[in-house]
Amino acid sequence: MPEGRPSSASTRAALALFGVVALVALLAPLIANDRPLLARSGGRLLAPALADLPVVGRLFDLPEARGVDWDQPPPGMRALWRAPVPWSYRGIRLDEALRPPGRHHLLGTDALGRDLLARLIHGTRPSLLVGLGAASLALLCGGILGALAGLGGRLADLLIVRLVEIAYCFSPYLLALALQAALGHAGVGPMIAGIALNRWTVVARLVRGEILRQRGGDLWASARASGASLPRLALRHLLPLLAGPLAVLAAFTVAQAIVLESGLAFLGFGVEPPLPSWGSILAESRATLEVAWWPVVFPTLALLLVLGSLCVAGEIGSGGRGRGQDTATF
Amino acid sequence: MTSFLLRRLLAAVPTLVGITALAFAILNLLPDDPLIAWSPGGATASAEALARLRAELRVDHGPVERYLDWGLALTRGDLGTSLRDGRPVGRVLADALPWTVLLNLCALVMIYALAVPFGLLGASAPGSSLDRLGSRVLLAVYALPSFAAALLLQEFVAVRLGWLPLQGVVGRQAGSETAGLLSHALDLARHLVLPTLCLALAGWAFVARYSRAACRSVSGREFLAVARAKGLSRSRAYYHVAANAAVPLITLLAGIVPSLVGGSLIVEQAFSWPGLGRLYVASIEGRDYPVVLGLTLLGALLVLAGQLLADLLYLLVDPRLRDELLMDGLDA
Repeated sequence: MPEGRPSSASTRAALALFGVVALVALLAPLIANDRPLLARSGGRLLAPALADLPVVGRLFDLPEARGVDWDQPPPGMRALWRAPVPWSYRGIRLDEALRPPGRHHLLGTDALGRDLLARLIHGTRPSLLVGLGAASLALLCGGILGALAGLGGRLADLLIVRLVEIAYCFSPYLLALALQAALGHAGVGPMIAGIALNRWTVVARLVRGEILRQRGGDLWASARASGASLPRLALRHLLPLLAGPLAVLAAFTVAQAIVLESGLAFLGFGVEPPLPSWGSILAESRATLEVAWWPVVFPTLALLLVLGSLCVAGEIGSGGRGRGQDTATF
Repeated sequence: MTSFLLRRLLAAVPTLVGITALAFAILNLLPDDPLIAWSPGGATASAEALARLRAELRVDHGPVERYLDWGLALTRGDLGTSLRDGRPVGRVLADALPWTVLLNLCALVMIYALAVPFGLLGASAPGSSLDRLGSRVLLAVYALPSFAAALLLQEFVAVRLGWLPLQGVVGRQAGSETAGLLSHALDLARHLVLPTLCLALAGWAFVARYSRAACRSVSGREFLAVARAKGLSRSRAYYHVAANAAVPLITLLAGIVPSLVGGSLIVEQAFSWPGLGRLYVASIEGRDYPVVLGLTLLGALLVLAGQLLADLLYLLVDPRLRDELLMDGLDA
């Protein structure tokens, strides 16, 4: 936190943790899946779990491997290598409902008998997708518009500053929900658009402020004198200066977007069920609050870990200097 | 002072217009077919109902004309009528507003009441183990989303310990006619505790962080050392540190209000609190677009109002700024 000396060890630990979570999100179907990673059908080797991977999954999607119950496989079929968490995020088994954490279900099961660990693992995906998507979009739009405001003429500056003021007034929650209502569908698209539509303002302010500060300074004068065009000045000379503060802002924006995604899922406006999200797992846990603690505690811990690591990374990246209201409002 | 106020308010007018335009554009221009999106029955509405809605929404008119019409009605305080029960949107909002204001004011008081002592504590013994523990706590609270906090509190404080009510605003006993005013108030207070705590958590961590930094930067200043050397007591010194640290903390208000607006949405839903946030969620679920539009607008206006308020308070607490402005006024 603020006064902690910039310690590279905890930055590295925080970033590593975030990297692990990103890897889990990417490989979720290989980590938690009721289909085996490797199976034998007749004389052939199959990889049914790989079929659930994004993009490349189609290569492994074989008709004979679909709809097989791998706990009691039909004759001629055999699972050779099960996934580390051999449960699917959507397999409803009411006879297994609300099992406390134990040997079979490490983190227990939810009210529909679905394995909580499998749902948590698959729940990383919407969180990170929205987090990284919204942060990239906000950085891109905010960077371009902020640079335009700083480098362009007075009119451009005036217009963009006004736009920043207006967009900042709409809370990302309201924007994402209004966009969902207007577009008539839930999903990650409106969420990413909603948070980016609010957060670009912070990026634009930072970029514009830094450019105005440099304007008329030595760096500016010597670059211009040596014949650098404005775009070159922006990309070659100003961007490196901004890289540090922007990275910090990016870490906080990703964290905010993750909170937003799970918050919207908590309200019931997240990804379509049965796809899990940490927020929707928490929302579902409300119904069983009186009998089960595990569906409340474990998603919360997951959120704490990811958000905490992002905060630590951002906090230390900023050298412990709080930069006013802009770094954090969630 | 008055001229500053006027100028500040005038400068907010274009922003205000822009806010209405953006809110209107999102909810009126984005749907492919506003008739289908806006009609409570969706695609299955009868032709007659659709025709009535067509006339009501003036879909045949251009977007600019519709916006101007809507804006004109808005200046008269007319936000349209709710599709759900036909009441004026203004009335629907006014019914829910006091609950949200109550919750948010309590949260705001709690944020500052807890954050400033925390900052003073951090500033009085920097680097001590207490200080380090404090910063860990701050990080954990900061990283805990309000809905997760809500569920944890509900699970452990309300359900397991049974100390406080789980949700809602009225308890079973207090709901009866015989209960007195005092027991009503007490009951409401009991229902307020958990939602307020949840709503305040994120803002508290945010303000506490800055309050530590602000107090620390003040406590290193010369005037304080001089005052202490001349025999100022420790408690009076705390007062001077807090008074000086107040200036940066008040500007944070502009940053807290947006998070309170967003936070209300979550916390009210989690605790079944009958305020604006819950109304927003219900209106989106019920496709009550006029109410959604009104609430989107109201949320943005609250954020704008928070910024103006922060500016004003800034003037109030910092006499130097006030003098500067007075000088400006004389020059002009």
